[in-house]
Amino acid sequence: MKDTFLLVYRNIRERKTRSILTMLGIVVGIAAVVAIMFISYGMQESITEQLSEMADIIMVTPGSVELGSFGELGSFTERDLKDVERISGVKEAAAMMGEMQEVEYRGEKVMVEIVGIEPRDMDAVFGETVKLEEDGDSGTSASGRELRENDRKACQIGYSVANDYFDYEIGVNDRLTINGSKFRVIGVLEEQGGFRSNVDAQIYVTKRDAVNIFDTRDISSIFVRVRDIGEAEEIADEIEDQIDDNHKLDDFTSAMAMGGAIEDLKSIFSVLQVFLLAIASISLIVAALGIMNTTLMSVMERTHEIGVMKAIGAKNRIILFLFLMEAGVVSGIGGVLGCIVGVIAANVISFGIYTAFDVEIAVVVKLQVLLGGVAVAMIVGILSGLYPARKASKMSPVEAVRYE
Amino acid sequence: MIHTENLSKTYRMGEVEVQALRDVNLEIKDGEFIAIIGPSGSGKSTLLNLLGCLDKPTSGAVFIDGINTGKLSENALAEIRREKIGFIFQQFNLIHTLNALENVALPMFFAGVGREARLKKAEELLVKVGLGDRIYHKPSELSGGQQQRVAIARSLSNDPEVVIGDEPTGNVDTEAGDAIMDILEGLNRDEGRTIIVVTHDAEIAARAGRTKRMRDGKVLD
Repeated sequence: MKDTFLLVYRNIRERKTRSILTMLGIVVGIAAVVAIMFISYGMQESITEQLSEMADIIMVTPGSVELGSFGELGSFTERDLKDVERISGVKEAAAMMGEMQEVEYRGEKVMVEIVGIEPRDMDAVFGETVKLEEDGDSGTSASGRELRENDRKACQIGYSVANDYFDYEIGVNDRLTINGSKFRVIGVLEEQGGFRSNVDAQIYVTKRDAVNIFDTRDISSIFVRVRDIGEAEEIADEIEDQIDDNHKLDDFTSAMAMGGAIEDLKSIFSVLQVFLLAIASISLIVAALGIMNTTLMSVMERTHEIGVMKAIGAKNRIILFLFLMEAGVVSGIGGVLGCIVGVIAANVISFGIYTAFDVEIAVVVKLQVLLGGVAVAMIVGILSGLYPARKASKMSPVEAVRYE
Repeated sequence: MIHTENLSKTYRMGEVEVQALRDVNLEIKDGEFIAIIGPSGSGKSTLLNLLGCLDKPTSGAVFIDGINTGKLSENALAEIRREKIGFIFQQFNLIHTLNALENVALPMFFAGVGREARLKKAEELLVKVGLGDRIYHKPSELSGGQQQRVAIARSLSNDPEVVIGDEPTGNVDTEAGDAIMDILEGLNRDEGRTIIVVTHDAEIAARAGRTKRMRDGKVLD
C-alpha cells in the first residue's frame, strides 16, 4: 500500500500544477457546502434560541395577521381580555393598543408606532424583561426608569426611536409631542434587534394615556402566556372560539401559539438549507467534471506508460486501482483543505453579516459535517475517476506500448 | 518450450486489412538463443508481441510450456508476462518518474514481492548489468545504453525463463549495443535462459545460436 501511495504521489507531483488546479475545484466545492452548512446551523440555532424565549406566548390579533404587526381588522374589547384571562391554562394576558401617530421632536415630525400597555404587563409581552439602555460612558443605568402605572404623559422609547428617527438624539427627560400632547421621556430601552426589532421602533405609554391619544378603548392585540407550552395550541383554539363567540363572528380572531411558529420556521429553514446545499452542490459537480477531465487527460498522456506496466506484468486491477487512488488522493486532500477553507469562510461571512447588518450569527462547526465533507470529496473524486481509470485498465498492452 | 501453430495476425487499418503474420510455425527450445531477422514490415515485431503474450492472434496459436495462450484470460496473460517472460524494448520504456532501482523493482511490486526483498534484488540486478553506481538515477539522467541495461535488469526481476528483446540494440551506439549483447549472451550461456531477439542487424543476429529470417509475414527456412 505504501508503495502504491508512493507511485501515486510521484504521478501527482509530476503534474503538480494540474493536480493543484483540480484540487482547487474540490476545495471550492467542499468549502461552499461546509460554509453554508455551518452558517445555516448557526442561524437555525440563533433563531430557535430567540424564539424559544417566546415559546409560551400566544399572540391574539384580529383576523389572520402576520407575526409582529398589528391587526387592522377590527379590535378587541375589555370583555374579550377578561374572558381570555379566565381560560384555564392561561398564566397571564396582556392587552396592547397600537397605532401609528405623528410624533414631534424639536420641530421634526415623524410617524411612530405608539403602544399602550399596562406597565406590569411589559414582561408578559416581551417574554423577558426588556432592559433600559446603559449609559455607554459611565456604565450606569443613566437611561431613566421603567414605566409605572401612575405615570401620566410619560413614555418609554425604543432604541431606534431615540437614536435614528430624528435628526437630534432623544434622551431621558426630553419632551415629545404625540398627537398634540406633550410627553416626557422617562426611559430609553436597550437595543433589541433580531425578532424583537419592532420594540426598537416603538414608543410605550400607559394604557390610560393611550386611550386619550387614540380616543378609543379598543384593544389591538392580546398577548397570552400559558403555563404549559404543550397546551398552547389547544388554548389558542379556545381563545379564538371565545372571542369569535363574543363578537358573533367566524374567523374574527387569530390566536397564534409561538411554539408552533418555531416548528414552522424550523421546517422552512430545513427547506432553505436543502436549497442552499443544492446550489453549493453545483460547484461540487463542476469539481467532479474537473477531476474526470484531469484523470482522462492523465490516462491519455500515460497511455504508453500504462502499456509498459501491462507489458511487464501489471494486471488490469492494479492499473484501475492506481488511477482511482490518484483521483481519491487529489480529491481527499482537496476535501480536507475545503473543510478548512469552509470553516474560515463561514467565520468571515458571519463577521461580514455582523459588520454590515449588525446581526450576530454564530458559526456552528460540527465534526460530522467535516468528516462528511472529506468523504463526499473522496467519493466524488473516485466516482469521477472511475471511467478514465477503467479506460486505462482495459487498454491493450501492445497498442498502449506503441502509443507515443 | 515455445511453439506456434499456423500463427496469423491481421490488422485492420480503416478499410484496409494488413496481414502482418501468415501461418507461422516456429519452435523455440528451452535455453535457446534465437535471432529473428528481417526488413521492417516483415512481421517480426508482431511475432514477438504474440510470443510475449502482449497481443492475441487472429488465427492459429502460441503455446508456452504446452499452454495455448490464446485461450487465457487477460489476467492470466498478465501473470505469464510477469512470471515467465522478460521484455526488452527498443525504446527502453522505463517509467520516467521512477529511478533505476524503482524501475527494476516495479515488476516485483506487481508480483506482490515485499518492499525490502524487492529493492535488494533490484540492486543486485543493477550491479549485475554494471549500473551499481547509478541505482538512484532517473532515466533522464542515464545514457541510452545505460537505460537499456536498466531495462534488461527490469526484465530479469521476476526471474523469467524467457527474455524477449525487440531491437534491443536499435537505439544505442555500437559499443553499448555490444555490451547489451554480451549481457544477453551471458544470460543464455550462464543461466540457461531462452533469449529471443528481433533485429535487422545481421551482425547482432550472428551472435545468436540460431537465426530465422522473416519476409512478408512469413518465416523463411
